[in-house]
Amino acid sequence: MSEAVVVNLFLTVRVLVVGGALLVLPRITRKGLLFGAYVGESLVERDAARRLRGRWNRGCVILMALSLLVGLAISWAGRPVAGNLTGTAVLLLGGLGLYLHFYFRARRLVPPAAAQQAEKAAAPLLGGGPKGVGLAKFALGLCTLVAVATFVYAIVSYETMSARSFVAVMFVPSLNLLFSPFFALLAILTAGAKRSVRGGSGGRSIEAQNAFRATMTNLLSWMALLICGFFTILSVQIIRIGRSEIGSLGVGIWVMAGIVFAFFLGNLIRIVRGYGQGGALMERGTAEAPLTNGLADNARWIWGLFYVDRDDPSIMVESRFGIGYTLNYGNRVAMLIVAAFLVLSLGLIALGLFGTLIGGG
Amino acid sequence: MLTLTIDRSLDHPVYEQVADQVRRLVASGALAPGTPLPSVRQLAGDLGVNLNTIARAYRLLEGEGFLVIRDRAGVVVAAPAEEIGHSARDELLDQMRAILARLRQAGMATDELLPIMRREVLAMDGGGKESDDE
Repeated sequence: MSEAVVVNLFLTVRVLVVGGALLVLPRITRKGLLFGAYVGESLVERDAARRLRGRWNRGCVILMALSLLVGLAISWAGRPVAGNLTGTAVLLLGGLGLYLHFYFRARRLVPPAAAQQAEKAAAPLLGGGPKGVGLAKFALGLCTLVAVATFVYAIVSYETMSARSFVAVMFVPSLNLLFSPFFALLAILTAGAKRSVRGGSGGRSIEAQNAFRATMTNLLSWMALLICGFFTILSVQIIRIGRSEIGSLGVGIWVMAGIVFAFFLGNLIRIVRGYGQGGALMERGTAEAPLTNGLADNARWIWGLFYVDRDDPSIMVESRFGIGYTLNYGNRVAMLIVAAFLVLSLGLIALGLFGTLIGGG
Repeated sequence: MLTLTIDRSLDHPVYEQVADQVRRLVASGALAPGTPLPSVRQLAGDLGVNLNTIARAYRLLEGEGFLVIRDRAGVVVAAPAEEIGHSARDELLDQMRAILARLRQAGMATDELLPIMRREVLAMDGGGKESDDE
């Protein structure tokens, strides 16, 4: 297969996955929410909301077609990589623009009663601690240990290599050191994430939140372990190439990358089908009980995407649009985590750029 | 499942709303002695309120003998005291008299007050269900 065919295939898969997710998300959203805005449990069933959802579907299909056309046109003009990047940029920026357009349209529908509901919050008094946190802590310990060991092994091995760039050898162990413990840390934070409960639902809403949160925690823990395994094997293969023990990475590493991706995507589809956003599909019978706990408070959400509440000690809260959890940007610990991750990521990018600029490769 | 609910739009402070509900649940038997409660961080996170708000409610309830706060074991419901000191009892009776006086001043007659008080006391002795969830 030529490079152009592979690149076009990647772009097509990306458009189908991202565009498909955008199409599905409004269908699995917790009742009361409409494109990141809380409009109340009854309003989401009315005609105005239905019309918005219909227009969203058409907008998503047009966006998918547009990003594919632009990407493939540039690719066929002889620049496949530029086509891939442009198509992806059109998809992501267009998706964001589409979302924001519908978010502001939904905000116009918010009735005054929704603001009153936002003042209420409910919490379970019984039920024990968070589930899945044991596996997440185990993943954090193991991933950190293995990633540090791989990093040290790469440094030590560099001395024994013939003519290899230091950056090329250290890049993947550095990625491992950053990403696999980060995923495990996300799993630990998810295990203790804020639950947005429907008060007066007879406990079913809490059960749904607990089940969803535990499933997301386990997925992130397993992802941390798989990513750590993948990057560790990749690091060792790169070192072996450097020592001239093998000639190439081999097919096995790409098969493993495919398995990690398939595991993630498969589980995400399972969660979407089985739970919905925050367990929305499990609490369908309780939808008449209004949503509470910050998720219903439009004033605490910027564009329906960023939750900011300095008083709330929660580090992670349920996302309003999308599946899973997001950070409380009013929390100091959350901001420290974001800052640390950004600094380390930028450091890695700088390392890669520096290596390329000095001709290391 | 027992649920604690707060409403920030009320004039009643949040820590008092929390304390009132826990008191009622303990008194009705819905929360039995020894039952563990969520940690300050967990409850504050779930409700989306400041840590100090829940800590204040828990300290208040500990002072009143409803909860026991242990460093490692967390917060558990306290067993009822076997006997009450004279001064503590007199203080509580004074509070009850003050509340009765306010109710009378608010316009409630004796024949309205007595059945309500009887129902509340009986609910504490046998009915653990009425405060459940909500």
